[in-house]
Amino acid sequence: MAESSGMATAVESLEEHKGLFFDIFGSFDASAVTPRLGRLRVKGRQELETPNFFAISSRGVVPHLTPDVISASTTIGGVHMALEDFIERATIGTPPIMNCPGSSPIHTFTALPRPLITLLAPRRTPAVSAPKGNSATAISIFPSTGFQVLSNKSYISYIAKLHPDIAISLADVPHGSIPGSKRVAKMGDRTQEWVTELLDSKNDEQAVFAPILPIDSLSQYEYLNQLVDELTDEISGLAFYDSNLLPDMPATTSFSRLPRLSLDEPSSPCQILRQVSLGMDIFTIPFIGFATEAGIALTFRFPRPVLDEPLVSDGVAGSVLPLGITMSSNAHAASLKPLSTACTCYTCANHHRGFVQHLLSADEMLSWTLLQIHNSHVVSEFFTSIRESIRSGNFVVHCDEFARAYESDLPEKSGQGPRVRGYHSKSEGPGELKRNKAAWGNLGNFEHGINGLIPTEPAGTLEDKGFDEKADT
Amino acid sequence: MEAVKSMPSALDFELVARCSTTKARAAVLTLPHGPVQLPLFMPVATQASLKGLTPEQLEGTGCRLCLNNTYHLGLKPGQEALEAVGGAHKLQGWKHNILTDSGGFQMVSLLKLANITEEGVRFLSPHDGTPMLLTPEHSIALQNTIGSDIIMQLDDVLVTTSPDTKRMREAMERSVRWLDRCIAAHKNPTTQNLFCIIQGGLDLEMREECCREMVARNTPGIAIGGLSGGEAKADYCRVVSTCTGLLPELKPRYVMGIGYPEDLVVSVALGADMFDCVWPTRTARFGDAITKYGVLKLRSASYCNDFGPVEEGCGCVCCRKGDGGLGVTRAFVHHLTAKETVGAHLLTIHNVWYQLALMRSVRESIIEDRFPAFLKQFFADLHGGDKAKYPDWAVEALRTVGVDLMM
Repeated sequence: MAESSGMATAVESLEEHKGLFFDIFGSFDASAVTPRLGRLRVKGRQELETPNFFAISSRGVVPHLTPDVISASTTIGGVHMALEDFIERATIGTPPIMNCPGSSPIHTFTALPRPLITLLAPRRTPAVSAPKGNSATAISIFPSTGFQVLSNKSYISYIAKLHPDIAISLADVPHGSIPGSKRVAKMGDRTQEWVTELLDSKNDEQAVFAPILPIDSLSQYEYLNQLVDELTDEISGLAFYDSNLLPDMPATTSFSRLPRLSLDEPSSPCQILRQVSLGMDIFTIPFIGFATEAGIALTFRFPRPVLDEPLVSDGVAGSVLPLGITMSSNAHAASLKPLSTACTCYTCANHHRGFVQHLLSADEMLSWTLLQIHNSHVVSEFFTSIRESIRSGNFVVHCDEFARAYESDLPEKSGQGPRVRGYHSKSEGPGELKRNKAAWGNLGNFEHGINGLIPTEPAGTLEDKGFDEKADT
Repeated sequence: MEAVKSMPSALDFELVARCSTTKARAAVLTLPHGPVQLPLFMPVATQASLKGLTPEQLEGTGCRLCLNNTYHLGLKPGQEALEAVGGAHKLQGWKHNILTDSGGFQMVSLLKLANITEEGVRFLSPHDGTPMLLTPEHSIALQNTIGSDIIMQLDDVLVTTSPDTKRMREAMERSVRWLDRCIAAHKNPTTQNLFCIIQGGLDLEMREECCREMVARNTPGIAIGGLSGGEAKADYCRVVSTCTGLLPELKPRYVMGIGYPEDLVVSVALGADMFDCVWPTRTARFGDAITKYGVLKLRSASYCNDFGPVEEGCGCVCCRKGDGGLGVTRAFVHHLTAKETVGAHLLTIHNVWYQLALMRSVRESIIEDRFPAFLKQFFADLHGGDKAKYPDWAVEALRTVGVDLMM
């Protein structure tokens, strides 16, 4: 860890009784709202320099990446796993993952490479909103077979058995709807109760991140107070559903030293930078997967593009650059260029835009694999540069530079992407369009009879056209 | 028929061993992108990608020769892009060998509305419905651009079960005429190997005639085509055995479209060397794992709590534990099947590995001259030792080459 060696002097560790340690480098001021450099150490796993990110998984896999590809071609340090992806059979018996042998069933079951940290959350991120609200003892979850109820009691027993490196405690978050004032009051109370229950019954080894709710800090005042006054030593970190609450966190030293995880679903690199500037440490970033499945190769670099990158947006020097390139465009069909200039990822080192364009247009699954490898790499590099920038004291300047160099939003989705599965989204009402295009249909129009569909032109005319080039007419 | 021309070759065929009982052979086939060991199974990377595997992962299964489909690459990315990129190896970042078919089979299998005449295959573009024509010259020009190590002639493919012997004879004779046009059109005979394709349906005399005509054209390798189209397995075996009996010993023999393990081992016993099929990779996407005890349908709920490897003792990345192996369980594949593409990728790795490993052990047993014993063990494993379950066609076919599975 070359990065940390120069900074090791100012390291102060948390009490080492949880199997999870978080060090913050540099001078530390509990009341300051600043970007921070840290290091997350989990027993048996690779250390994670922060700020950094955890990949989001679906059914226990990082979409499109087999575990061997994760090891060989990415620097992903941890994976966010959603319990709801594993327990569809809970209504008819014990979910299979609970029968998985080994000391860390969640790792074993998913064949996740050993060095990676597992983070268990009750719900996917982003989560599909449930038609039924949460109750005083349980939340609504959405496994692949339909909505279910997950009680805090059973969530606690899942954690005890699955033994994730980090578990996020159950939170009363109404995904998708805006809570009224009565509900807001309940959210804090319920979450406080659920966190307490988990902490009371878990074993000492288990690291738990306490959720910070997406409501203002006054509305969860009691809950926060209890976290600070009584539970700081019991918890190993905080999981923010809303990063705007970072500045409002109680400024005690031990509370501020907890690692902070964002479940705030940043939609662009600029939002990540903003959260870093508020002191966020670890991110979950849905837009990596969105970009991949939309056929977009991310191309941004922090704080500025490499020098020879052409300014593409409208050919005018000084114009802002897009954050990614739509790879399905025909313009890339014969391009031997890497997806982004000077990128060293497996995809860019071994393949070129022409291949990815071909795979996307041919609907080949490898397109998403190659894009996912590339996009994960771009984001890893983004965080490496952020850490360097914080270390050198130029973070604020660099953020401004980045905001001037790049567009604020990702390019529009193009292409169909992989088939959308039921557990990815739910029906919002009648008359919805189908989410997936039909794979097959009738060929041509049979009204004129089959004979009319066989070419009758002279061979010479057809010869001239070559193999499947579009007719001019 | 036209005067016979000899042609140069871009391969080296070294016969390593011959089974002393059956017609099986072991050989080393050296192609422009390196040597491959025969007998060999070739997985199919239809559109320049093996269904989600990176070229590195495909390499990891031991594969050194895979297929691309000319018809698909002709549509996407198209000849122009292929030319600009510099061929299929560069397109897909594959350092090893590629074999391309002629495109003719897809015309017939995918397009009901294709019409075959002496000039070529007429059909409508699936892109935009415009009329198209694929001639032997087109097919070879496309394959020359693709730059594959082995290219196939355009042949007139007919389902073997067609009762129309007149049409069958026409197809066979036309395939020979098209072979001459392909040889004439082939621009890179010193870097790409053109294989002829024996036709003639299930009519052994017609097959013999086709063999004689095509062998005389002296292509670097020879394929037996038109099979695996729903014919009875016994008929299939008779055709393969008849053809291999007439083919020169020092050339590779490729039976197109064969992939079930029992078909592979029997075909090897009948003297064939090379095989391809989409079945192992397609069936992987449906959650089916090939093992030496048969195919496991891992979608079945009975596997949801099965924490054993996909196949005990398998050496693939997916099944292996430790040393870079993933230790994937049947339960996990069940959990992913038809829901996450990674599930398909994992089983694809396993199935391709299985097919290649099967052919490796076939080869070893031929070299050590214990292939008949291998065959007996293979069928015993596959059917749980119950001889009553052995397929008649396999028992019969192996009897013709001196192996009696029932003994």
